[in-house]
Amino acid sequence: MSKTLNRRDFIKTSSATTVGVATIVSGITLTTFAANANENPVTNEKRWGMLIDTNKLTEVEIDGMVSACQQENGWGSEVHSTGDQKPTWVRKLKVQDKATGKITSLPLMCQHCEEPPCVDVCPTNASMKREDGIVLVDKHLCIGCRYCMMACPYDARSFVHEDLTDQREHMPRGKGTVESCTLCVHKVDNGESPACVASVNSDAVIFGDLYDPKSNINQTLKKVQSAQIRADLDLNTGVRYSGI
Amino acid sequence: MYRLVAILMVLLMGNVFADKHADHSNLGEEASSIKASGKIFHTDGLDVIRKMHPDFLNHKRDKTLREGVRTKEGSLKGCVNCHAIKDKKTNQYHPVNDKDQFCSTCHQQVSVSVDCFSCHRTTPRKGTK
Repeated sequence: MSKTLNRRDFIKTSSATTVGVATIVSGITLTTFAANANENPVTNEKRWGMLIDTNKLTEVEIDGMVSACQQENGWGSEVHSTGDQKPTWVRKLKVQDKATGKITSLPLMCQHCEEPPCVDVCPTNASMKREDGIVLVDKHLCIGCRYCMMACPYDARSFVHEDLTDQREHMPRGKGTVESCTLCVHKVDNGESPACVASVNSDAVIFGDLYDPKSNINQTLKKVQSAQIRADLDLNTGVRYSGI
Repeated sequence: MYRLVAILMVLLMGNVFADKHADHSNLGEEASSIKASGKIFHTDGLDVIRKMHPDFLNHKRDKTLREGVRTKEGSLKGCVNCHAIKDKKTNQYHPVNDKDQFCSTCHQQVSVSVDCFSCHRTTPRKGTK
């Protein structure tokens, strides 16, 4: 095999190699894109948010949102808890304009702040914010001190006061831990909308990625007047309201 | 030398039979059918899953809750779905942490309490997904 490599052979070999490498590389790229989104950690390229139009949203629809949340996450049937002890992930709130007396109803849940006070005060790191902006309680670490409940300006968190059984498969809940709206994180990770958003038939409640210029929520927020509740606290909430 | 080999063989045979006669009645419905079909679910080997399952579960819980990785590998939901047994009379599932059920058999023996199920569901899926 002492043959010297002539020009023709060199071109043959090198082009074959190039084709081979190109095939392998394209294969790798294809597999990377084909991988399920659930296999990769969430990133801060997205920020999930919700826009609630209180002018379009009827009281019946708000009640529907509350019961959709109960049905999805399995809260609301606690028998031994009384009054304030009862878990409330989302509630119907009525606000009144002092000057005109106009009453507006709105659903209030965890506002998924960018700077969540509940995360600041948690002594065990149980209260946490995911990279994509969803604020959660890691019940494995929660010691039930309830500092986060005191810190939350929206009274969005609840404490489980009794032993529970028959929880939803995707939503573990237990006595001695704090819980709140998860923005239906199990559904969001599968590309679906939260249960409360899905329960409203109109476009009164929009869910989506606040950062994505193509998303409905981003485009609507650019057009309409919207507000954050207690904007003075500079928490930069993920849940926005228009019409209040 | 032959005597030693013979003793060793007897011991090994004992192990084989012990495994054959071991009580797998609480293995769970899906797990039993996988076993019957000859497939192997825990490909790392049973020794590994028996010893390491707390680590697998702890690792996965952080990945899922904090990073949103929702693969089936190391999922507690998966354990429950596969290893739960239906009561033949009532047609209801026994909770996996009940006495003599899949999780409890070993945990009773080694006296280690399981804390998963004060929050997690103990029977396979039902109602809304």
